[in-house]
Amino acid sequence: MLDPLDLKLLRDLGRMKGQVVAVSLVMACGLAMMIMTRSLILTLESTRAAYYQSHAMADVFVSLKRAPLAVADRVTDIPGVARVEARVAVNVTLDLPTMPEPASGRVISLPEDGSPQRLNRLFLRSGRLPRIDARREAVLGEAFATANGMKPGDNLTVVINGRRETLEICGIALSPEFVFEARPGETLPDHRRFSVLWMNYRALAVAYNLDGAFNDLCLDLAPGAQAEPVLREVDRLLEPYGGTGSYTRRDQASAQRLDDELRVLGSLALVYPLVFLSVAAFMVNAVLSRIVRLQREQIAQMKALGYASWQVGLHYMKFVLVIGFLGTLIGGLGGRWLGADLLSLYELFFLFPKLEFRMDYSALGLALLVCLGASAAGVLTVVWQAVKLPPAEAMRPEPPTDFKPSVFERIGLTNLFSPTLRMALRNIERKPWQALFTCCGLSLATGLMVLPGAMSDSIDYLLTFQWNRQQRHDVAVFLTEPGSPSGFHDLEHLPGVIRAESIRSVPARLRFGHRSRKLAVTGLEPGAYLNRLLDADCNVIDLPHDGLVMSEKLAEVLGAGIGDMIQVEVMEGRRPSLQIPLRGTVTDFAGVDAFMDITALRRMLKEGETINGAFLTIDHNRWDEFMRGIKDTPRSAAVMVKRDQLAAFRETTAKSIDTIRGLYFVLAVIVAFGVVYNSARISLSERSRELATLRVVGFRLGEVRGLLIGELGILVLVALPVGLLFGRGLALYIMSSFSTETVRLPIVIDPSTYSLAVTVVATAAAISFALVGRMVGKLDLVGVLKARD
Amino acid sequence: MASGLRKVYHTGEVDVVALHGVDLSLDGGELVVLLGASGSGKSTLLNILGGLDTPTSGSLSYRGWPLDGTDEQTLTLYRRNCVGFVFQFYNLIPSLTARENVALITGISRDPMPPEEALAMVGLAARMDHFPSQLSGGEQQRVAIARAIAKRPEVLLCDEPTGALDVTTGIQVLEAIERINRELGTLTVVITHNAVMAEMADRVLHLSDGRIVKERRNTERRPVSSLEW
Repeated sequence: MLDPLDLKLLRDLGRMKGQVVAVSLVMACGLAMMIMTRSLILTLESTRAAYYQSHAMADVFVSLKRAPLAVADRVTDIPGVARVEARVAVNVTLDLPTMPEPASGRVISLPEDGSPQRLNRLFLRSGRLPRIDARREAVLGEAFATANGMKPGDNLTVVINGRRETLEICGIALSPEFVFEARPGETLPDHRRFSVLWMNYRALAVAYNLDGAFNDLCLDLAPGAQAEPVLREVDRLLEPYGGTGSYTRRDQASAQRLDDELRVLGSLALVYPLVFLSVAAFMVNAVLSRIVRLQREQIAQMKALGYASWQVGLHYMKFVLVIGFLGTLIGGLGGRWLGADLLSLYELFFLFPKLEFRMDYSALGLALLVCLGASAAGVLTVVWQAVKLPPAEAMRPEPPTDFKPSVFERIGLTNLFSPTLRMALRNIERKPWQALFTCCGLSLATGLMVLPGAMSDSIDYLLTFQWNRQQRHDVAVFLTEPGSPSGFHDLEHLPGVIRAESIRSVPARLRFGHRSRKLAVTGLEPGAYLNRLLDADCNVIDLPHDGLVMSEKLAEVLGAGIGDMIQVEVMEGRRPSLQIPLRGTVTDFAGVDAFMDITALRRMLKEGETINGAFLTIDHNRWDEFMRGIKDTPRSAAVMVKRDQLAAFRETTAKSIDTIRGLYFVLAVIVAFGVVYNSARISLSERSRELATLRVVGFRLGEVRGLLIGELGILVLVALPVGLLFGRGLALYIMSSFSTETVRLPIVIDPSTYSLAVTVVATAAAISFALVGRMVGKLDLVGVLKARD
Repeated sequence: MASGLRKVYHTGEVDVVALHGVDLSLDGGELVVLLGASGSGKSTLLNILGGLDTPTSGSLSYRGWPLDGTDEQTLTLYRRNCVGFVFQFYNLIPSLTARENVALITGISRDPMPPEEALAMVGLAARMDHFPSQLSGGEQQRVAIARAIAKRPEVLLCDEPTGALDVTTGIQVLEAIERINRELGTLTVVITHNAVMAEMADRVLHLSDGRIVKERRNTERRPVSSLEW
């Protein structure tokens, strides 16, 4: 047998089920979002940790020109180094018969004796590792194999050091080193056109004249060892061998990209869901305050019957608990479902042997605690006011509420207002807190609509900025090795090439103060047309004759301003180290780059007209001819077709942002409806007596509805602009926290995003008003009037 | 004009018969008091007469205009143009002043009197700009009467108008009602369980168990000021 008070609770809740559902849904939206993002973070973090651990992800990475294998033993002797893996890693061109353009690959050597790798061990999905001494066998990356429908036993044509070789795919694998698998320097994966391959050491070393030597090394730090001294010692040791500077896992492309994604998720996991939960708290507060006021006499009766104040208080707190429980149930299940569903998006970007959803229960607990805490704190004051009244007093009807002319009337604007508008204004002024709370809820709901739209505006802008205004080439070609001017001549004269601009890039470490970044400094032709440097307003930035221009983000990371001298330590050739002034910054949204005038760069390197590649525009009628030509250019290591990159971007980043945007939009719409409907219901319940009176004295249904809607309409009108401002701030805050070194979103909010937010809230208001308006028609005129206030 | 009015309420599985076939004819300018104990059906009758409710069976017409089985819009129109209500609990809009509460009605009526005139008729000319919270119970009820009569209704229906008031204030309210009836010639029906009030009426109807069990015509209406209870 249920406690009579609990029975009352259930029945009261049953009577207000519409509102209970609305509030629970809003709460559930916030909880679902928080649980979804926190669980995705937990899933990615724990999967990554387990994968790195079980497959021995290295701590430090370094590339070099060529060093005898014995040097690797000296690296092992450096204090703090636990294990070392010396290998050959080269960029190759892949030739797929099904694809006109060449694909590219990075081949990494496997230990010759068939022993397992010490570091970055492969996870073999199918097939086997190459047999000892096998020269023509390779293990292929899983994503590329899947994208191109390849399996063990298939053949793949690879241009190895200028020679076409046909390799047999013996296995399909993944590596912890390439959880994010993209061309070096690229921020987007293109699994159809890029893959990592693994071959026996000797097969690869011989082809590149590296037998008995290595050009790539990774190592594991001993437990507790500091990375910095090890990096210094490794760099010192490898410098004579063309070492390009060692770096830790934090700066490793794949690991960094994963870190950045987790950071983005982290920024979505807190603030945005918290806004949802605050809306829910406002709603709970509004609903409960109303119930307590309505049940003033019942409270008095309970007390007269001998219930203690705390029992009565607890009874009303249970309303909050039930709503919270419902919200948690829906939110928990929803968050779990959404998270598991969204995880498939991450499989587009991040390659794990297995990515299994893990629910973050601690987030559930925390979110619930915050939400219930906020709601209960608000409700507590109302309950307290009700229970502290002596029963006899509480059972008497409440005296008519004290009203006075509104501010507008006091300053002499009375004649401008109809009696109904006057009623609305005085009501708002009489209960400023309630009006403020309703307004806050409505504003938050409006504001929530801005972020999804802003995300979509941002992607649109990014697409135009990057692919139309900044990059105007069709193809970018990179060579395996820096080449002489004849290399540029060869590219320039490929069939179909309309225009060509040379590229010279060198690996370098840029230092400013104690901060440094390792990246490629790219030399561009003065007045470059095909790949332009732009500022935030799309103005072209001319490269200065001396000095550097770099991504805004890079300048921010280095803490450098225009005019500051940047230490540029070149890690190629003669390895000069120079102080070069920072002359300007460019706006870009993927990766960070530094640029110089190509002549100034060559002067700095004391070299002739060396190039690494070229930007080309192609006559589209001769596209296939060009592609055949480029496939036959042995020294081209990577060919990036802008059109394909754009398609890849649309399929991956744009798709994932679009999915998240869609989800947020739906949740925001639910909140908008919930808040407006709830406010309208409360308004109806508070004013049912007034409305019934007006009906009795002969007001038409439409006139009475207008009166009810008037007050709420004023609040909606006030809340809309405030909400848009808030939404803008929220979107700016969240989107600027997306800004990482690998990817950034331009902060652009189109006016249509604001109009959509207004339209949704206004529609929610119209529908809620219509629903509540129907209830006005069902008011029990006689019953309402008979009842005391 | 009502004949054979029956009203049955369906509450759950039980049918409650509130009116058992009431025949009634009310004439213009009359002051009628409906007397009866709680549950006798007097409020139900008043609600039906006022167009707040419809009879289950029987016929009801106002100046030949049928009100039984009619749609909500017609009833609204009837209430709006012909009927004034006064309730036990004044039902004023707390956010409007006395004058504005009356103006609310005059704004939608065909031929209303100015709110000031209506308030003057109930003796509240001096307190027109006060909000309900600044008025006593009797004053609030008189505002409710002013609101009811401002549209010059042909019928004024008062449901226990003094039920929540003390004797002195109750008398003031009844005086206002009586004055309206006398000066405007409004057909006035007052519900009460207070038999003393029957003395002020032209006609007294006793209701019991959903039937008019007794009808009495006073030869002379007693002045309200002389009533005591």
